[in-house]
Amino acid sequence: MTTALHPRTTTELAELLRSRPGRVRLHGTGTRQARLPAADGAVALHLAGLDAIERLDAPDQTCSVGAGLSRDVLDAELLRHRLELPLAGAGSIGGLFASDDVGAVTAGGPAPRTLLLGMEAVLADGTVFRSGARVVKSVAGFDVHKLLVGSRGRLFAATTLHLRLRPRPRASVWFRREGLDASQALRLFLALRALAVPPMALHLHSDATGAVVAGRIAGRAAFVASTLRAHGLAEGPPVTELHLRATAPGEVLTGIVVPSRAVELFGLAPAGTPFLLHGGGRFECALDSAAATDMLLQHLPTISAHAAVAEGAPARRGFGTPLDPGQQQLCNRLEQALDPHGILV
Amino acid sequence: MLAAMPPLEQALTALLGSPRVISSRDALLAWECDGFTIHRSRPRAVVLPESTAEVAAVVRLLHAAKVPFVPRGAGTCLSGGPTAGAEAVVIDLARMRKVLQISTEDLYAIVQPGVVNLDLTTAVHGFGLHYAPDPSSQSVCTIGGNFAENSGGPHCFKYGMTTDHVLGALIVLPDGTLARIGDAAGPRPPHAYDLPGVFCGSEGTFGIATEITVRLCRDQQAIRTLLGSFSTMSAACRTVGDIVGAGLVPAALEILDQATIRAVEASVYRAGYPEDAAAVLLVELDVPVEVLAEEVDEVRGFFRQHGALRIEEAETPADRKRLWKGRKGAFGAMGRLNTDLYVLDGVVPRTQLENALDGIAAIGRKHGVLLTNVFHAGDGNLHPNISFDGRDAAMTARTVAAGREILQLCVDLGGSISGEHGIGSEKLDHVAMMYGPADLEVMARVRAVWNPDGRCNPGKVLPQRGACAEVAKWPQMIARVLDAEPHA
Repeated sequence: MTTALHPRTTTELAELLRSRPGRVRLHGTGTRQARLPAADGAVALHLAGLDAIERLDAPDQTCSVGAGLSRDVLDAELLRHRLELPLAGAGSIGGLFASDDVGAVTAGGPAPRTLLLGMEAVLADGTVFRSGARVVKSVAGFDVHKLLVGSRGRLFAATTLHLRLRPRPRASVWFRREGLDASQALRLFLALRALAVPPMALHLHSDATGAVVAGRIAGRAAFVASTLRAHGLAEGPPVTELHLRATAPGEVLTGIVVPSRAVELFGLAPAGTPFLLHGGGRFECALDSAAATDMLLQHLPTISAHAAVAEGAPARRGFGTPLDPGQQQLCNRLEQALDPHGILV
Repeated sequence: MLAAMPPLEQALTALLGSPRVISSRDALLAWECDGFTIHRSRPRAVVLPESTAEVAAVVRLLHAAKVPFVPRGAGTCLSGGPTAGAEAVVIDLARMRKVLQISTEDLYAIVQPGVVNLDLTTAVHGFGLHYAPDPSSQSVCTIGGNFAENSGGPHCFKYGMTTDHVLGALIVLPDGTLARIGDAAGPRPPHAYDLPGVFCGSEGTFGIATEITVRLCRDQQAIRTLLGSFSTMSAACRTVGDIVGAGLVPAALEILDQATIRAVEASVYRAGYPEDAAAVLLVELDVPVEVLAEEVDEVRGFFRQHGALRIEEAETPADRKRLWKGRKGAFGAMGRLNTDLYVLDGVVPRTQLENALDGIAAIGRKHGVLLTNVFHAGDGNLHPNISFDGRDAAMTARTVAAGREILQLCVDLGGSISGEHGIGSEKLDHVAMMYGPADLEVMARVRAVWNPDGRCNPGKVLPQRGACAEVAKWPQMIARVLDAEPHA
């Protein structure tokens, strides 16, 4: 990428886009750029300057923030009000939603779609628009803002996000169970996932050395203690690494799977393949070559799983299992409708 | 018989058989409106398909004939969403009521759109599961309608709206082709957009969902329902604020005002609510058994702190059912107050509840309409209800005018014109309170992605171009509707 632009307001961003700068790649804090397809020659449009906490209504448990606001800054402010944004991931808030690479971290837990109440955004042609509302419930108009989730900056540039927050649990403990084989780990993972109050975060990591189940149980102290006791879980460090990393010439696949079919998923990959499974059903696996990736992608539809290359050669990123033809057509039409000239890449 | 029918009706009959194509004017009366009775219009015909293939075949036929169509569930919508114009065919999905699959391990179900909301919970109850979104009409409304409207309900404070529970769907697009958007694995493969997220709440204007995959929730170990009665509405609202502010997340936080209490107590929905109270607050806790006592104590403490006149705690399922009976039957009880009921659906930040209720009362007085309030206090989702006589055009006009001012008040307080009922035809002219031309243009572009010819539920959600002037004409439009379709 040759040029970098740094707007500090929605108006500046809209003016920049209206000036027809050519193809544009949106950047938050840059933490996820390595997972996006190549954007050679595109202008880098950095949103980190849109970093205000515009509104924090603690009693209403909502806030409005700039898309470029750092997750750490928001978390620190929310902590003061005994609130939290119950979503895993770091980087900018806009990037967190636009990438949606973890989804819900627990069974039935809040997903980005749930927490995003509304937004202000700019189309590739510089049109500023709003969608949704600032309140926790609104069904007025179409939920265009939900399209931000996982859109990777391809449909529009969100500049302000209206978010739903949750009260911080009164007690919260991270747990970790090591020394399991993959099938033992999956049994524990599924049992915890099926609890009436599942862990607030739940992750399974498996590789050639064995498997680990880790997560966070939260609620009132009596509940946290009894859940840890009932499942023989020991306290452990917080899970901060939410992704696998590719080592060239290997690749990382990211996808979704019905959790009970994860055992079949593990069986489709070469023995010892590193897997990371999140409580909401997202998974990642690190394969040692593009050929191994292609082999796995070919078999995933047999277990109704879907995946795409997240890390690997730039030209390979985004390549994945075939989408339903109708779904594919709708995705193509959305891009055509909102960015007909393919400015956002 | 066939020969006497217009060609389109003949073709539909050839496709589905005559009992499943309805076109006589008298029979169409049942489809002339939904719960928003101010807007009445009989469709050209109604068809009753029983499978995805039949829905697709009907839609292909209508698409080829360039005839608009309107999908419909149980017709319990409160904003005129499924009310069809005289030229449109209603595709009634009530016969598609099979639960196709239940996964007790992965906690999802795949259902046809005509499955009644409560029937799904009944179907999974034996597994210790339930379907969380619970509109007041849950014993009759359908999952397909809930998906189209993004329906809510009392328990959405804790569990979220329909959009939070939909994983995927099979959609018949308005040209009759199919699209599978999301599935049990999740709503969005990593290389696709969140199509179920934007479809949910599109009010039948994007296509017809014929299979819907929804999340199921595990039943909680302990449920306790408490009712606090208060001498002022302010005390009830402040109690809600304190409960939420303390970090409690009850399953439901519902308030009924005195007029509603009295209507309920005079009806078959009598629940034993104290009629001298200015407001009652229903709090439901569903929690792990080891924390129940602690949470109940905290709620009781907040009740006492705000001077509750009486605190009742349902300890048995029968008690709980009784306390909920009044809340769930509140809208039915309003039938005692007049012939028609206009159920409004505005949202304000929870911290603005008292201001909103004061403003609503003033608007009621200004327009001389009978207003009652029953609402989801935890979400700030108000349901001011205006009881009126729909045969009285002047009263109807006052009702509509008051409704409009109430929704403007909600927007002015930082809220929304709809929390769960949708825009439909009712609020077409109110959309401009929240959105400007650019916002609406983007929404129109997204709708055109799904529905490029605009024949799927036309004239809903988005005002026609240049329709700002329609805002002022709404009472006249209503009057025209009343003129055209005499109130039976």
